[in-house]
Amino acid sequence: MTIYSLYIFDRHCACVYYHDWHRTKQTRPAMEGGLLKAVSRAVAPRQVDSGTTAAPSTFSSPRNTLVSTTGAVVAIGEDPSAGTAPPTATVRPGVNTLTFDEEAKLVYGVILSLRNMIKKLSGRDEHFTSFRTSTYKLHLYETLSGYKFIMLSDPSTDGLRFVLRQIYSGPFVDYVARNPLVPMDSREQGIDNEYFRASVDRMVRGLSVFA
Amino acid sequence: MVVFGLWVINKAGGLVYQRNFTDGLAQLTSNEYLVLAGTLHGIHAITSRLSPTGPSSGAQVIEGESFKLTILLTVTGTKFVLLTPLVGTAAESTLQKVYEIYSDTVMKNPFHTPEMPIRIDGFDSRITALLGSGQS
Repeated sequence: MTIYSLYIFDRHCACVYYHDWHRTKQTRPAMEGGLLKAVSRAVAPRQVDSGTTAAPSTFSSPRNTLVSTTGAVVAIGEDPSAGTAPPTATVRPGVNTLTFDEEAKLVYGVILSLRNMIKKLSGRDEHFTSFRTSTYKLHLYETLSGYKFIMLSDPSTDGLRFVLRQIYSGPFVDYVARNPLVPMDSREQGIDNEYFRASVDRMVRGLSVFA
Repeated sequence: MVVFGLWVINKAGGLVYQRNFTDGLAQLTSNEYLVLAGTLHGIHAITSRLSPTGPSSGAQVIEGESFKLTILLTVTGTKFVLLTPLVGTAAESTLQKVYEIYSDTVMKNPFHTPEMPIRIDGFDSRITALLGSGQS
């Protein structure tokens, strides 16, 4: 039983947040221009910090008002692999693995197609909730404002929509919707900030299915 | 066991058999079913690539709020899809029996062209015996 990853998409099909936990097969970092800013530092396009240290690159980033590499909040909640250091401990993904922006597009495409399929088959306004393969299970929760919360977990877990709903009604409302520094619906920037990330991390790690 | 419908999708993504049993889902035209089957075929291929850990199969169960699709992929690439209510766990074993019937009555039928729509009385009647009669 475990939780692999969390994606949040806005109503413009753009991935605005990404967080992963027990994921063993990592994606390659996103291509330049393929991903919004402030989605996840772990998968952000990596070219600015290739030769220099991480500090100047985050300083030059426009999201430095929201995210700083120093401070107490990083220490309490931040997943080390999701921090500034690239995940060097895991095996470096080969060239035939997907980049993150490609993967995000595939995830969005799958849930959009399945949502339409379920709607058409039922003939009612029925929502697609989850699908399961041999190695993972994908859960979807869609808010009225069009945000799609997607969680990948172990295939044997029950429905996790209540967790996604809790993330929406708790951390998301507190640290994104009510945060004047987060431009929602901007089409230019994700919603990642350290309070939201730490709060989501704490909530997911507290789940009974997280092990 | 309540079954809403059964689809058989060939390895190219074409719908070769479709039958409704119990009312409960929308009545669609055969063209719409063809489109949905093709979509499912594509999604099935993509879902196996999204695995966060090792190699994965494609989607096996897809759930809505009141019904689910259970998918059996055979080694030859044919997909059997069963539409059932959410409760009940017999869908996988039912699909195995459908596969058995398919092997007996379709694959062993010398007059059937592989990958083409299934119009065989023996298959229809044995499916009826298994899943109950419905509107064809």
